Amino acid sequence: MTTESRDVNNLFEKWVLDADTKLSELDLVKNIKTYLESQHPEICGKCTPCRDGVVKIEKLLDKYIDGTATLDTLSEFEKLTYNLRASRCSVGLDIGKNLEVVLENNYNVLYKPVKEY
Amino acid sequence: MASITINGKTIKVKNGTTILSAATSIGIRIPTLCFIEEINEIGFCRICVVEVEGEQDLVSSCNTEIKNGMVIETDSKKVIESRTNTLQLLAGKHRFDCWKCPKDGMCEFYDILKEYDILFEEFGPGIGRKDELIIGTGISMDQTKCILCKKCVAVCSEVVTANVLKFRDDDGMNPFVSPTIGLNFDETGCIFCGQCVKVCPTGTLFETDHIGRVNAMIRDPKKLVVVQIAPSVKTAIGEEFGYEIGTPIKEVEGKMFKALKLLGFDQITDVGWGADLTVLEEGTELINRLQNGGKLPLFTSCCPAWVRYAELYEPEYLENLSTTKSPHIAQGSLIKHYYAPKYLNKKPEEVYVVSIMPCTAKKYEIDCPGHEVDDIRDVDAVITVRELAKMIKRKGLDFKNLEDYVPESPLAKFTGAGVIFGAAGGVTEGALRTVSELLDNKPLEKLNYKFTRGSDLRDSKGVIKETTIKIGGNKLNIAVVHGGAAIKEMFKRLKTGKKKYHFIEFMECPGGCVNGGGMPLVRDLPMHEVIKKRTEALHRYDSEDLPLRKSHENPSVLKAYEEFLVKPNSEEAHKYCHTHFTQKEYRNE
Repeated sequence: MTTESRDVNNLFEKWVLDADTKLSELDLVKNIKTYLESQHPEICGKCTPCRDGVVKIEKLLDKYIDGTATLDTLSEFEKLTYNLRASRCSVGLDIGKNLEVVLENNYNVLYKPVKEY
Repeated sequence: MASITINGKTIKVKNGTTILSAATSIGIRIPTLCFIEEINEIGFCRICVVEVEGEQDLVSSCNTEIKNGMVIETDSKKVIESRTNTLQLLAGKHRFDCWKCPKDGMCEFYDILKEYDILFEEFGPGIGRKDELIIGTGISMDQTKCILCKKCVAVCSEVVTANVLKFRDDDGMNPFVSPTIGLNFDETGCIFCGQCVKVCPTGTLFETDHIGRVNAMIRDPKKLVVVQIAPSVKTAIGEEFGYEIGTPIKEVEGKMFKALKLLGFDQITDVGWGADLTVLEEGTELINRLQNGGKLPLFTSCCPAWVRYAELYEPEYLENLSTTKSPHIAQGSLIKHYYAPKYLNKKPEEVYVVSIMPCTAKKYEIDCPGHEVDDIRDVDAVITVRELAKMIKRKGLDFKNLEDYVPESPLAKFTGAGVIFGAAGGVTEGALRTVSELLDNKPLEKLNYKFTRGSDLRDSKGVIKETTIKIGGNKLNIAVVHGGAAIKEMFKRLKTGKKKYHFIEFMECPGGCVNGGGMPLVRDLPMHEVIKKRTEALHRYDSEDLPLRKSHENPSVLKAYEEFLVKPNSEEAHKYCHTHFTQKEYRNE
């Protein structure tokens, strides 16, 4: 694990474990994206859920940033997150577990921009 | 023994089996994309995931060993959702132009997408991971369709041992499979055996198309198109039209010839004839080398993939190769220079020769230097069994209801020895029948050389079979080697030099031509079963249906010698039926 990704990992754990994050939805999404991007060097490209799933999740988060997220975006995000449980090694599994915590703790934050559509 | 529960059913299975084989043994099908038994058990595709009680995560069934007391669900909601999602991800990076896909309806990926009703909610169908088209004379690769199952990589390294196709994951987010980056297949160490084409679940790897070339030839009114069909094609062509694997050859042979006639070929010949000729040439070469002290052991040179393997990887052994051309090239040259001028009143340049072969390497072979006489290529096009089936379907022929047809050409008369060329060990068996009669000067009693035969699970990776036979006072050490891994092993043995061999038959594909890269695809049977059934069909045809079983008894081959070639290994024979081999450069990175 590179130093950079470890830093981001620690940061992620800090605010992810806190259920009452006061982050705005945009900040949350940006944080998740930074975390996912920091994981790119770890991904080996061997199994589908992690290799292709992470890229797709990032594209979905882009929709949040653009303000074009819909309910489908959220459900797709959920599906891809739970699908990371089928990964081959702990890189994909860890990303999946972290994102699951995000969904558990901050579902309302992610749901907020969706409601407007 | 361990007792496990799969979908509520408790069974006892041996320790060490995987969940997948345990489930298969009780008739529960788990879909797979990247799994080949014993060759590729890597768990890349994650389609075969199952839910195990007590485990947080889903596990891949193809490479997880069972443990005592496991409770497994193969179709829970979680599993089905995960499969659907993974398939969606794969489909998002696959170009769907199915109507022009070379896989032609045998696409495993398409079938599995259909089975799971894949919808595209947020993302539409993809445009492909990379849009590169890597060409080659024998096989080509369209990377837009790759789903990174890595089957071809496993087959290329484990079965063929050429290590040409590699999984390149320097950038883990955008990995791809390719031969040496920036080169086409001809510049790499690829031997064009086509085993990767057979395992590819999509249309990524495919045989280079010759149908267009053949159709143009048939439409050309000035030219005479002669088709020659390999014996192993007859064991498999029926499979494309609903016959079972291993259908007796006599049931489909006549229909196949009729279909060729209706397709518009002017003359129909059989490579069994060329094989008989090859036996005489190669047999005489063996006798010459034995009696006059030539280079031994003699290697066969019928398999173009193997010849390319020798030219690329074992150039110091090139002198051991028999200089005889492979049967279809030799026959092509004789069709143009002997048969057409003498019987059909056509000049060699007015004749096109099309070979129907079970092989993708033959497509490469026809462009090789040395396979031409007086600047006229011996063979002009090669189509595989799959391509022939496609042509017949496109022509709208009802294959099953065609009437039987027997071609009149003298070059369509063959013996049993020529027929068994299609199976591994056949070249040896055919050559031995002739050589032992010529050397012993008495009729052979037992025609079946049992040591060359037999098929088991090891056959799907390659086997070496050897024996010692007494012929004409000489004790000959003979070996039959098929499969890339076995070839590598054989060269290890040859280099230690412990045992002196006299004759070695090499075949690149495990099982010989019946398992060639151009044969119809079979999905529901393992490779060794397919080899066994097709080989049996060939041997049954040889022993039951053919009156003549020895090459030197083939009257039309003898007539060709009388009228044109004088005698085996004569000057004329060398001009038309022999070739030369040169070392070739390659880059495998």
